Amino acid sequence: MQFGIFTVGDITTDPTTGRTPTEHERITAMVTIARKVEEVGLDVFATGEHHNPPFVPSSPTTLLGYIAAQTERIVLSTATTLITTNDPVKIAEDYAMLQHLAEGRVDLTLGRGNTGPVYPWFGQDIRQGIPLALEHYALLRRLWREDIVDWSGEFRTPLQGFQSTPRPLDGVPPFVWHGSIRTPEVAEQAAFYGDGFFSNHIFWPASHTAKMVGYYRQRFEHHGHGTAAQAIVGLGGQVFMRKNSQDAVNEFRPYFNNAPVYGHGPSLEEFTEQTPLTVGSPQEIIDRTLGFRDYVGDYQRQLWLMDHAGLPLKVVLEQLDLLGEEVVPVLRAEFAKNRPATVPDAPTHASLRAAADARAIAKTAVRPGSPAGAAFGLAASNPKGA
Amino acid sequence: MTTRRLAVVSAGLSRPSSTRMLADKLAAATVARLAENGIETTVETIELRDIARDVMNNMLTGFPSPTLDAAIEAVTGADGLIAVTPIFTGSYSGLFKSFFDVLDNQSLTDMPVLIGATAGTARHSLALDHALRPMFTYLHSVVAPTAVFAASEDWGSGDRRVKTLPDRIDRAAGELAALVAVSDRSATVRDPFALAAV
Repeated sequence: MQFGIFTVGDITTDPTTGRTPTEHERITAMVTIARKVEEVGLDVFATGEHHNPPFVPSSPTTLLGYIAAQTERIVLSTATTLITTNDPVKIAEDYAMLQHLAEGRVDLTLGRGNTGPVYPWFGQDIRQGIPLALEHYALLRRLWREDIVDWSGEFRTPLQGFQSTPRPLDGVPPFVWHGSIRTPEVAEQAAFYGDGFFSNHIFWPASHTAKMVGYYRQRFEHHGHGTAAQAIVGLGGQVFMRKNSQDAVNEFRPYFNNAPVYGHGPSLEEFTEQTPLTVGSPQEIIDRTLGFRDYVGDYQRQLWLMDHAGLPLKVVLEQLDLLGEEVVPVLRAEFAKNRPATVPDAPTHASLRAAADARAIAKTAVRPGSPAGAAFGLAASNPKGA
Repeated sequence: MTTRRLAVVSAGLSRPSSTRMLADKLAAATVARLAENGIETTVETIELRDIARDVMNNMLTGFPSPTLDAAIEAVTGADGLIAVTPIFTGSYSGLFKSFFDVLDNQSLTDMPVLIGATAGTARHSLALDHALRPMFTYLHSVVAPTAVFAASEDWGSGDRRVKTLPDRIDRAAGELAALVAVSDRSATVRDPFALAAV
């Protein structure tokens, strides 16, 4: 199981000091946080993509490429990459390039974005959001998997004899997660391709997340990629902790009350009750996080939102220390208990490459009937016991 | 015996409220009309005042609290809806509109609706037809032709030269009852994540 951080990249005034970081401070803080993620033994750093203030990360592969050079182990990901308004050709090229520079430590999470005007700013029509996401992703897959692509569609200039360069590292495209808060079509898309499904989770009640993940799992099985339990699920989470539970509540409350998105709305107590937000001691974080498995099943990736709402960098780094020292080691051990051996880990470049190699060997041996799902790097999990 | 579910939304703010009084009268008259046709009706009444903070929190966070969720389920899953608001500043109250703003905009499609409103004087009565009716039309609901407005004086009038409040309630209830009788909304599933039975 993978644990990590996802950042929105918001510039928010610290409500306790009135201080607002500059763009430069925020961007360098994100790099510091990513390095800390590696240092404390977490597995994933993911950045959002936004094209409007108060958010800074408009250029994810630039940021992740720099972080790749400063880290050795963590997986670099996105939360999310805008499949609607980005040109899929540019996504194919940028992330293949990043894959080479990061030695394969790259995957991405696709989303449609949450800011209406971004569509017209990038020449698209928000009313076509879902058809855009579907067509763009279908093209992106082909660009990574076929050397020469002839293509025409609704939303982009046709391509004749186009080759996206560089080709994916080792011929293995990055693993893709599909993120959505409430769109069944996105869960269906993830299931159709046998890709991962990432449920943002943090702004909605558990019952809703359970429904969406359940839907994805069943459709994953329906499309022949393995059993429902073998589908690749990621969850968001949001925590703030101190050794003493009440200290955590007191310290976090002003940040909560003034936070973008949910500030000035429900109380901290209501929000923690109704969503996965947990504010308390490391043990409370552990207990709540382990509870996620009760309603989504054994899953592959847990990311937390940490550096938002104006929390100072120093506090964020302290939070990461607590996660790395006290929370994640326990979660790793506990999540491993009673986890069926047939439930796969999150695909990585290494596992996808091994699956591709196995597929190539199987092909030369002319052994028909390789298990469904092999094309998506899930062969190692041997779905359906084939 | 055939059964139907009727939801009543009242946006009155005071206790007791004339808006709630009108809502109750409309509900009782509709239940009586349905009973005449052998239809048993359960009524669930939502006082928006009780969930006012939940409605605003949903506006801000994007998701309903469990309390609000139950109210939304009761309304969107009903066979018919009676919606009554006080008229404030020329239109429905902000709370009334906010409740309908947090609903999925397809969740009231084909819903039989009876609209009602209250205010101090009859000069506000057209708000029913220039504000409430278009809102429900946008939501693709089926709004009964008769809308019922009660000014303060209606609660004490019996002027025989004009249609009285009870007359108007009775006519509106008859129209809604006819629509509800043939509505099967409460028996249909609208969960987008519901999987077809295998």
